[in-house]
Amino acid sequence: MEKRLLKLNVNGQEYELYINPKTLLVEAIRDHIGLTGTKRACETVSCGACTVMIDDMAVKSCSLLAVQAEGRHVRTVEGLETNGKLAPLQKSFLDHGSYQCGFCTPGMLMTSEALLRENPAPTREEIREGIEGNICRCTGYNSIVRAVEAVAKGNYKGESS
Amino acid sequence: MTMNKYSIINTHVHNVDGIAKVTGRATYTFDVKLPGMLYGKILRSPHPHAKILSFDYSKALQLPGVMEVVTGKDTLGVKQGIWRRFQDLCDEQMLTVEKVRYIGEPVAAVAGLTEEIAEQALDLIDVEYEVLPAVFEPLDAIKKEAPEIHEGFERNINVTRHIEWGDVDAAFEEADYIREDWFRVGGQAHMCMETRAAVSSYSPDGKLTVYSSTQAPYYMQGLLAGVLGLKEGNIRVISHYVGGGFGGKFELDGAIFCSAVLSMKLHRPVKIVFSREEDFTATKRRTPMSYYVRTGVKKDGTFCAREAKVFTNGGAYTGMGATALYLTGFFHSFPYRWKGYRYDGYRVYTNTLPSTSMRGFGAPQAMFCSEQQIEWIAADLGLDPIEIRRKNAHYPGYEVPGQATIVSCGIDQCFDVIQKWIKDKGKLPKNRAIGISAAGFMSGGIFNWFDTPYSFSSAVVTINYDGTVELYVGAQDIGQGSNTTMAIICAETLGVKVEDIKVHSGDTEHCPADLGAWGSRQTLMAGNAVKMAAEDAKKQLLEVAYAQSGFNIVYDLDIKNRWVHAIDRPERGYDYADLVKKAIRGKDGQRIMGRGYYTPHRKGMISPAYSYMLQGVEVEIDKETGKIKLIDSLTAHDCGQPINRLGLIGQLEGAFSMAAGYGYLEYMPFEDGKLMNPNLVDYKVIRATEMPEVSVAEIDTYEPEGPYGAKEAGEGLTNPTAAAIGNAIFHSLGVQMKECPIRPEMIVNALKEKEAKEREKK
Amino acid sequence: MSEPVKCPVCGKQAKTGSSIDCARHMFGTGDKKHRAWVEAQGLSFIDLLIEQATTPGNRSYVVLAEMIEKTQDKLKNSEEA
Repeated sequence: MEKRLLKLNVNGQEYELYINPKTLLVEAIRDHIGLTGTKRACETVSCGACTVMIDDMAVKSCSLLAVQAEGRHVRTVEGLETNGKLAPLQKSFLDHGSYQCGFCTPGMLMTSEALLRENPAPTREEIREGIEGNICRCTGYNSIVRAVEAVAKGNYKGESS
Repeated sequence: MTMNKYSIINTHVHNVDGIAKVTGRATYTFDVKLPGMLYGKILRSPHPHAKILSFDYSKALQLPGVMEVVTGKDTLGVKQGIWRRFQDLCDEQMLTVEKVRYIGEPVAAVAGLTEEIAEQALDLIDVEYEVLPAVFEPLDAIKKEAPEIHEGFERNINVTRHIEWGDVDAAFEEADYIREDWFRVGGQAHMCMETRAAVSSYSPDGKLTVYSSTQAPYYMQGLLAGVLGLKEGNIRVISHYVGGGFGGKFELDGAIFCSAVLSMKLHRPVKIVFSREEDFTATKRRTPMSYYVRTGVKKDGTFCAREAKVFTNGGAYTGMGATALYLTGFFHSFPYRWKGYRYDGYRVYTNTLPSTSMRGFGAPQAMFCSEQQIEWIAADLGLDPIEIRRKNAHYPGYEVPGQATIVSCGIDQCFDVIQKWIKDKGKLPKNRAIGISAAGFMSGGIFNWFDTPYSFSSAVVTINYDGTVELYVGAQDIGQGSNTTMAIICAETLGVKVEDIKVHSGDTEHCPADLGAWGSRQTLMAGNAVKMAAEDAKKQLLEVAYAQSGFNIVYDLDIKNRWVHAIDRPERGYDYADLVKKAIRGKDGQRIMGRGYYTPHRKGMISPAYSYMLQGVEVEIDKETGKIKLIDSLTAHDCGQPINRLGLIGQLEGAFSMAAGYGYLEYMPFEDGKLMNPNLVDYKVIRATEMPEVSVAEIDTYEPEGPYGAKEAGEGLTNPTAAAIGNAIFHSLGVQMKECPIRPEMIVNALKEKEAKEREKK
Repeated sequence: MSEPVKCPVCGKQAKTGSSIDCARHMFGTGDKKHRAWVEAQGLSFIDLLIEQATTPGNRSYVVLAEMIEKTQDKLKNSEEA
């Protein structure tokens, strides 16, 4: 298949890629742009490790082609911080120890960020449902739920990036 | 609860790797990219048992972008194993030469310019096999007419283990009530979020660098030296960030070996990352077992005798299965006193996925059987389940005959806590019940089957002019937080803050040898090494402080929170950083360096120290569908002195999720040696919506062998949950689940059987 | 009918003196002498052991118990002869 030029907006930055149209968004982000924060842990769109935000929605970046993200705003974990200042969710994850091996963490953060944008005051149940598509093998999820809840409660107000 | 007497230990400390992990900066082997790097893929056997007759990979080599193809013939053909002291158990060639013994076994590896090209090349390799008859169950593998899987292993019996104390027959004679049961416990996949991955880079100066997602860089170094014919010192293993291990990543695997072999041929870096499917089908798993348990008790509940006969499905190779075989038999007696105890364990080779260690190391399997049978015995005799356990439990100072001396033991307080929890819950809603399970676990093993000449753990502390501290450990952080735990111990001992410590780990070039992250050893063993190193460094600092101070000999100096002071006069003192400057000048400009190490000596047959716990799980069961919903859980837990508080909570919650998965979700069905659900759609791991709130109540004990009294936390916590869930089902529905994972159809069938029996009686 | 059964290898009388308990004892010791005796009767110790561990019911003990009973008869007969 013929390669084509693709313009991708990732974390507010325009990138020009020359890629095979079959390239998945996660491959474009990791291998072509070189942002390796976003991970991949399955081939069946089941684990959520590759979750990014596209126009404020959480999307598993292994589930769509890079070309399908053209003209949209893609946000990865690298785009959560601003000039080295951590986002409220990131600070909350640190405070609550909401990660262990850390491999699922970028995806978990992006899902949580999208969740809070859609529903700024979720119940515990709603948080659990929101991250249901993200597998974590280490934490048992509860510390993640606590971290998201703390941000929703406003514990990190005034610290947004 | 006693006041925390420490500045840092058991306080709320951020994980020291936090910033890297929450910002996407942490670079895992999965992310490593080196200049000129090639991508490798592995060709795997489609047969469970076959001779390799010939290869033809000429077409593969002709595919543009393919750089090399290797088979077992391109290797030294070394049969390796982690039990280096027992050569007959070193039975695995990582690229097999003559025959394959399980579906998925590596037979060839390809390096190409891209992953896609390497994948395409696999289809162009022709392998001629002579298919041999295969066996998949121990029962079939030990038959006289069964095919021989490994030469010289009669009846395919790989390892046997025997544990016995007391006069077992006499002890059974004393029993008023004897019960025997048969159980079948399943395997489990480690299912680390980061699949097996390695990048190997061999350079013309004969040096090999391997980036590996591993729990034990030193083991990788040693094992690779053996299979590649290199000197250990010419191999560097790097594992800064590891995406989970859980017992599946401290042996050599195909990614590490094949990437190294390819790189040595091509003198270019080669990266191999397993797909999720490969990670399921071609890596080792938790050991499935068949358990026969016969237990005799007095009518007042005093335990007299227990006899267990266990067969484990070893799969195609030994792996760590020999240790699992021993530990399951040992922990099957835990945490109780038996007048007579006998365990016979047999590990049988079969043509399936090799089985090995997985968090709990044979103990979750053992507890599923033991703790349920004890519950049924209590019910049969009309005794209280907690009191029957309390009556027979270990206590500080108890000697498990010929096996272990229990020093610290908080199990008795655990019973009080759970008893109160159950009482406070009162009457439960319909369809809900509570199940309990006790457990205990080792804090590192005393065994040296790896045959290392080094201390089991070592540490080096170096203090810079500005007072910052470099801490070098061989302990490996795989997510459990060992970097943070070591930093906490170092900072507390030295008298500085955690932020002053920079932990160096995961690089054999710069870090001391350490046996790595398995068997719950690091907090106790590496922690002791770190404490010793920090004490050594502190002593050198205080020597200078004493010389300066002119204090009378009766006064003691100390450093706490960066403050050098006389213990009796804390208000008079000075900054630690000033002392460091003086000390460095006093040493001719040399940085202060402290060394520490630890190896257990004369600590019984298994471990220097044991954690204890009692877990209660509240479960809701739908009678119609057999579906289980976890509602709540409390674990009363004795890990001695907790060190890393956030880490401990994380370990409890994480262990629960994995152990619950073992109890009712993570089924691994095989058909003729083929795993039927090698993906995350069909293999069920617990999700956020299924996880209940879980709490822990720490019991205050002090373990003299551990740093600041600490013992293990996090692996023992995987032991009780499957049994607790089974016991909840027993109390709710009156059915006995003798197989795990407990699937919905099993509960429905058990209920049907029960109802049929009751109808018969009428 | 029964006189208590004695182990044909070591002479021990196990628990109730039944042949089943003697079989349990034989499996329990598992030492070379007892295994050799089982093998000498044309049974496979390891086959019986694995069946005992993996199949509910005590068929292995029953098989061995019957064998033990046969040899008790032989012993008695040889005594009487």
